Amino acid sequence: MSEENWIEVGSTDSIEEEDLIRFDHQDKTFCVYRLTDGFYATDGICTHEAVHLEDGLVMDDEIECPMHQGIFNIKSGEALSPPACEDLKTYPVKVDNDKIFIKID
Amino acid sequence: MKNNIIILGGGQAGIYAAREIRQNDTEANIKILGEENLLPYERPPLSKDFLLNKKNEDDLYFHSSDVLKNENIDFENISISKVDFENKKLFSKNEDIYTYDSLLISTGSDNKRLSLDNNLNDDVYYLRNLEEAKTIKEKVSDKNKITIIGGGFIGLEIASSLSQLQKKVTVIEIGNQLMGRIIPKQIADLIQKTHLENGNKIILNKQIDKITKKNGINDILLSDNSLIQTDFIIAGIGSTPSVKLFENTNLKLDNGIVTNQFCETSIKDVYAAGDVCNFYHPFYERNMRLESYQHAQNHGICAGKNIAGVKTEYNSIPWMWSDQFNLNLQLTGICDDYDEIIERGNDINNGVIYFFLKNKKIRGACGVGIMGKVGRDIRITSKLTEKNTIVDKQILSDQNQKLNKLIQKQ
Repeated sequence: MSEENWIEVGSTDSIEEEDLIRFDHQDKTFCVYRLTDGFYATDGICTHEAVHLEDGLVMDDEIECPMHQGIFNIKSGEALSPPACEDLKTYPVKVDNDKIFIKID
Repeated sequence: MKNNIIILGGGQAGIYAAREIRQNDTEANIKILGEENLLPYERPPLSKDFLLNKKNEDDLYFHSSDVLKNENIDFENISISKVDFENKKLFSKNEDIYTYDSLLISTGSDNKRLSLDNNLNDDVYYLRNLEEAKTIKEKVSDKNKITIIGGGFIGLEIASSLSQLQKKVTVIEIGNQLMGRIIPKQIADLIQKTHLENGNKIILNKQIDKITKKNGINDILLSDNSLIQTDFIIAGIGSTPSVKLFENTNLKLDNGIVTNQFCETSIKDVYAAGDVCNFYHPFYERNMRLESYQHAQNHGICAGKNIAGVKTEYNSIPWMWSDQFNLNLQLTGICDDYDEIIERGNDINNGVIYFFLKNKKIRGACGVGIMGKVGRDIRITSKLTEKNTIVDKQILSDQNQKLNKLIQKQ
């Protein structure tokens, strides 16, 4: 994976703890989360129906879809509760000089 | 000895119960008896993405047959015609006998039907199952003017879908607002506005006096003598619990099968879950019957636990949604028992929520917004309700303040 694939999302203080921001890059949408132990990233659209997860609820390590309450584990992307049954894709995240980067393949 | 468990009803509550039983009991024989020759499937898309061709039949199944096979859950397509609770037996029309140690009844609900005094019954269509959805989808394809009788969730979702398919849609509702059984008028009016903006016609406060048919066109005569001419009629006028099979038995019925908070019925070793139940809700301290996706799932899971011997109280705060046009409507708790209403937001683009409070605690809330805009707050509201939190009304009413604050304050 080349260096170019690390995309800058924003500064670390742009996300409150137990919260997320939406990040659009080219034609894709991602969600970047700040949990108690660090930053994480997933696809930004629910796998159940095409709705943005940016308005969802982050609790512990989980993101809950705002439309139909499908729940995913933010760290693994695993679909934990119906109606979601397809996992959410996750992406590596690194922090450098208070800036967040995600690696998009 | 292995426990013989029969689940009567192959819908959402049934399949979730079956899988929960298996989680807790690897030995039991589990058999689901379903009246439709289909594995359990999701119903919410039938009135929306299925009609709009965004989802097809294969997208609807909860689980593949492999999942059931791996978990050793039998599914049989059979119609039961008689129940002998005393001897723990079920009989099919062909006199096949099914014997159980524990029985779960998850037969769901049936559509109420219009009582028409002529031969028009076959010309009024209803939507509850996949077969009916397929029929409607096929039949409306060459029709233009569609009339929907009943302005509840199902009728309005169909109205939204058919409007998006460029049909001219009229909705006739007997009450003075849409979705009047459970949705507050403030929210119903916002939804009505969106239907009107999209070209649907909404008629309130009118009864159907008579329907006649001539040369393929239906004439619907309303109580004020106005006449609506339409190519196709769909009715969504509510449902009744599917309890016909139990009417002459000892099973206690009262607007469904009466169950306690453990999904137990009045008969030992007979449980019930989902739409068919009038269940006791310990949080609200009253009985209720719910018809929703979340309830069917969670009640099924709760029944499964109790059948498998894991005594579990059903305390889930009710939650339901409806998607119409680009709006997502959500309701949590109950909104008919309150001493104060608080409004959050006034722009449907950012979401509008009404909270219903009693003694400073939230009993329920209902909101609507562009897809996804009210979900987070409604979810937090469920948690606040469940925990009986005394809420800061200033935060509730100010959309610039996150509701998470209320949870963290505890």
